[in-house]
Amino acid sequence: MALLEVKNLSTEFTTAQGNVLAVRDVSFQVDQGEALGIVGESGSGKSQTMYSIIGLLADNGIITSGEVTFDGQNISRSQFKTKKDYDNFMRQFRGNSMAMIFQDPMTFLNPVIKIETQLVEPLMNHTKMNQSEARERALELMRKVGIPSPEKRIEQYPFEFSGGMRQRIVIAIALANNPKLIIADEPTTALDVTIQAQVLELIDELKVQGNSAIIMITHDLGVVAKLCDRIAIMYGGKIVEIGTDKDIFYDPKHPYTKGLLNCIANPEDDDEDELRPIPGSPPDLLNPPKGCPFVDRCEEAMKICKNYPPEVTVFSNTHQCSCWLLHEKAVAK
Amino acid sequence: MSENAILEVKNLKTYFDVTKGIFTRKQIVKAVDDVSFDVKDNETFGLVGESGCGKTTLGRTIVKLYDPVSGSITFQGQDIAKLKGKDLTKFRKDMQMIFQDPYASLNPRMTVGEIIKEPMIIHNIYNTDQEREDRVVELLRIVGLKPDHIRRYPAEFSGGQRQRIGIARALAVDPKFIVCDEPISALDVSIQAQVVNLLKEIQKEMGLSYLFIAHDLSMVKHISDRIGVMYLGHLVECGPSNDVYHRPLHPYTTALLSAIPIPDPDTAKAKRRIVLEGEIPSPINPPAGCPFCTRCQKATERCHVERPQMIQVGTRTVACHLYER
Repeated sequence: MALLEVKNLSTEFTTAQGNVLAVRDVSFQVDQGEALGIVGESGSGKSQTMYSIIGLLADNGIITSGEVTFDGQNISRSQFKTKKDYDNFMRQFRGNSMAMIFQDPMTFLNPVIKIETQLVEPLMNHTKMNQSEARERALELMRKVGIPSPEKRIEQYPFEFSGGMRQRIVIAIALANNPKLIIADEPTTALDVTIQAQVLELIDELKVQGNSAIIMITHDLGVVAKLCDRIAIMYGGKIVEIGTDKDIFYDPKHPYTKGLLNCIANPEDDDEDELRPIPGSPPDLLNPPKGCPFVDRCEEAMKICKNYPPEVTVFSNTHQCSCWLLHEKAVAK
Repeated sequence: MSENAILEVKNLKTYFDVTKGIFTRKQIVKAVDDVSFDVKDNETFGLVGESGCGKTTLGRTIVKLYDPVSGSITFQGQDIAKLKGKDLTKFRKDMQMIFQDPYASLNPRMTVGEIIKEPMIIHNIYNTDQEREDRVVELLRIVGLKPDHIRRYPAEFSGGQRQRIGIARALAVDPKFIVCDEPISALDVSIQAQVVNLLKEIQKEMGLSYLFIAHDLSMVKHISDRIGVMYLGHLVECGPSNDVYHRPLHPYTTALLSAIPIPDPDTAKAKRRIVLEGEIPSPINPPAGCPFCTRCQKATERCHVERPQMIQVGTRTVACHLYER
């Protein structure tokens, strides 16, 4: 049974200009001990999908449809009568069963509170530990994420930590209660390559040791190639293709996935031709295209793509893609 | 000076005084410390390194936004430190810069036309406003924007489009050399490739030389003819990009390269990383010997005491005691 199952999730944001359809009919699942990568450009809805699942949407965000099941329990917004009930429930749920690692460790950590307090807080809130037990556990967590001399460091403030060390603290906080699912939102984007390598190595270890599932949101295809077992490609608020790492990298089906793979430089390849960028820019989700979200940038777009959202084509029990070109009646070019 | 070098940097040092208060000990950040390299005509020289290694400071010193403490920068045969008046204006016209953040580097209250026209007015390139306007339209076409974008404001454009405006502004005065300071790191993947291709095309058409500063090693390798690797204010290795990538000499280059995530699951998952312990030391208190000695796995006693000098090894130069005899 899947650990997390998301079905037909849609989220909108009310803005002065109108409703932004940030997440449109997204379905996927994550199994225990598995790492799923969600890849997409900024504004593709990858972060908002996660915020919708974990109940951290901004106030103007509304989940308009969909069902989220975690470990057999329905945790959809529609299960609760009021927003307050939902928020109260999710507050207990987060940090216990699922935890999140954010992109920018400096905005996540409170700059005027000691590391100790910030690490002990989730422990004391979610378990019956007393102060000294929680402190012991905090030190253990700091050791686990590779922070040298934790006894000294636990007394310090976030500004005394470097970027990589701060991200380790954020990971330690996320790990505090052994969550079954860790959602990492661009955890290494703000870090340098060598520090990124350290943090990725750490996340990989956690996956192997802790048997927790990981959802990794990123725009860096190199990071997902290293870390993830399955990959979902998001575009214009929709998942356009989902498959194992090998499906996506070696047998991409969607024109956007292909385009994405064509426009990154592979340093292993010396005689690399010109990069082939995808022309144009992502769609405006205030008025998303009626049909396929990629239609305006797709070189192979057909008439039907403009008007009807593509059906899902299933290639194997792991590999799915939404594109009209793959429809059996499409004329092969 | 080698024959066709358009830019030559010799023993360049740029320091910043960061002393706080009157009675405290003087604190100096050695942002760029004894860096030498040259950029040839029509060449792209890539400069890589992690944040805080001094690559941006080096770029800004070259365009004369900072004054170096010592060392020389020779551009088209002239020492830029001595430039004054007309010569300085001429230098500024030939040497342009593209900035990292396309949101911060364009004035939000000026239209695209005004932004691109401003350098032409400063350098007095065209006589009439009509000529300037025609040139702006042509530049917009070159960078892949539409002529009717001329009356719009930067806020109406996406990040990639803004970076194109920044490129058009740099091209407005027909420069010979452009310092590109992380021009793509703020952009989305599919847009990065558009901008990289655009820069390459422009280079071919106009015969430009680039100093391409970035931390994204795979893109730098793709666009550059030669690469320089910086660490803690020092240039530690320098050479043709394929050589540096496939046969790195300096232990830092080796570690940096092994840290790049390769966009290929089989290679990436099989690849053994040399995970560097620790972090970059503070540039206020750099190690006495080799800047990398605190994190280097091959460091010997000598590395902690004596600073290695740049030596020639085959096609490359490297600053490491391991390659000395």
